[in-house]
Amino acid sequence: MNSPLPLPRRAALRRLAALALAPSAARAAPGGIPSATHDASSPEWDRLRERMFPGRSLILGQGTVQVIAPLRAAYGASVPVKVVSKVAQHPDLYVRKLYLVVDKNPSPVAVMLDLTTAVGQADFETRLRVDEYSHVRVISELSNGELHTDSRYVKTSGGCSAPPNREALHLIGKTMLKVAGKVRPGEPTAAEVTVVHPNDTGFELNQLTVMYIPPHFVRSISVSFAQQSIFEADLDFSVSENPTLRFNFVSHGPGELRAVVTDTKDARFVGTLLIG
Amino acid sequence: MRLLSRLAKGYTSLFECTQPARLAMPAGSSSGSLAHALARRGLLIGWGTAAFTALQGCAGATARQRGRAIKIAPGVYMVAGSGGAADEHNLGRIGNAGFIVGERGVIAIDTGTSYAHGLELLAAIGEVTDQPVRVALITHTRPEFLFGAAAFRERGIPVRMHSSTARLMASRCETCLKTLRQTVGEEAMRGTAMYKPDQTFDTSHELDLIGRPVRVLYFGHSSGPGDIAVLDVGTGVLCAGGLLDEQRIPDIQDSDLAGWNQALRELQGMGIARVVPGHGAASPASLVMTVQHYLGQLEARARSLVADGTSLLNVSDAAELPEFASWDQYDTIHRRNAAIAFLRFERDLMLK
Repeated sequence: MNSPLPLPRRAALRRLAALALAPSAARAAPGGIPSATHDASSPEWDRLRERMFPGRSLILGQGTVQVIAPLRAAYGASVPVKVVSKVAQHPDLYVRKLYLVVDKNPSPVAVMLDLTTAVGQADFETRLRVDEYSHVRVISELSNGELHTDSRYVKTSGGCSAPPNREALHLIGKTMLKVAGKVRPGEPTAAEVTVVHPNDTGFELNQLTVMYIPPHFVRSISVSFAQQSIFEADLDFSVSENPTLRFNFVSHGPGELRAVVTDTKDARFVGTLLIG
Repeated sequence: MRLLSRLAKGYTSLFECTQPARLAMPAGSSSGSLAHALARRGLLIGWGTAAFTALQGCAGATARQRGRAIKIAPGVYMVAGSGGAADEHNLGRIGNAGFIVGERGVIAIDTGTSYAHGLELLAAIGEVTDQPVRVALITHTRPEFLFGAAAFRERGIPVRMHSSTARLMASRCETCLKTLRQTVGEEAMRGTAMYKPDQTFDTSHELDLIGRPVRVLYFGHSSGPGDIAVLDVGTGVLCAGGLLDEQRIPDIQDSDLAGWNQALRELQGMGIARVVPGHGAASPASLVMTVQHYLGQLEARARSLVADGTSLLNVSDAAELPEFASWDQYDTIHRRNAAIAFLRFERDLMLK
């Protein structure tokens, strides 16, 4: 269960990131504020989806998957984003993968999730960095191969970015698991995993040295319960500082909820929580 | 509340030649709280200015007139910004500037938003005195206070700021400038560029430059890492920079909240007569308490939301504080403050 993520996926994520770094053609005209409808595409997304899902059609607007994000994000460094699935995690048909994409970010694929039926309910909540006015998209891949999608156009209030927080560096990697409310065997239970980590993008200047802080961010979070995999997440630096994921899992009796985390410096962190 | 809110917006547009008749509506709204009383007083001061501006004649109301100096005390002046958020109408000139005139020269406090704005502030100073400007102090790291520096430096006036302000500026203001160009337009920002300060300092000190004592006050990391206030000792006028805003939500993004509260406590003991805030109208010293009150309410609410395990998705809505709803930028800065405060207190718990 704690096996490293398959390398090809990693490589894919990196290639996608590199692709998106190509200069964007769609820039706001001077004095103009960009705007778009929630369901619209973008030049960035048109290119990216062709790389991610070549030749495959994406089904929009069936409500199979929904992305919830504030239309006007209060704080771009940490924009809450929630994914809600209408498909129950039944072995016959379930959500196999979820992708979260922020079109305009330097590395737009923020999160890739591999799910098992043990999540019970494929709802996730996390926090993303949204630098510019951008679409936030979810792509849900079902076990029958269908791709469903939903998107929200998120406007972040402008202003200057906050100075990066560099306190308590010795606690990097501290991984905490929490369960909200009561655990009912056989039913999806809401839980949360959070990793103390600066999740440095590599684009931030150190105020003291005025040099770029090298990228250093959480690469993967794998969560299991009673030695059964719940989900594996590949993350990128579009995820906010102190990455956090709210998820569900189904327990059938007591066991250990366990999160294994790796970061870009190949550090490995583990958090556990006994249930029952 | 709604009425007040609308009025606050009217007050903002005042500098764009609103008729005083329209501004006379508000007096009826009632409320007992201190904040409200202060809020109304602030607005009334605003209307006074508005009426004055309007009397000058709308046809000739150029940017130059908008940027005229208002006398706060003998030798101490304020040039009012528009308030609001930067846009193509206000050209980003949303913050106040000030200056102090002595027998041997002038100390300018903040430089405006752009090269053109800096030139206008210099012109406003020139209308009051022939004394040379000896130095331009930057109170804090926000575009509307620091990007007019080119106009001052072009005349050989050194620009002076705290070393932490200089560092924060170096680390992010290139991006702010880019955003500002997009928001207000290239034309308005012509000649404006990133720069390094000519002088930096690390602690509080007295400036003996213009023949009257002027104190630069640094309280440690408060509203921002290098934020300063400037006290004209003789008149007790405080140019508060980022430490105090009037009728506007204080921005906590760069702050250390504990340090800010400590700074406000220290200010209370200084016998301040009048305050020129970073944004909003000149105010009595009680503005210090008003800002303290806001910060206290914000912190209490954010802490209780963390304790309740609220999702960040709901934080900004759950952090509504109606008593401040009439303040400028309530819909943006307050919501962001709520998210930032929530994230900070949540992190404090993580690090325990």
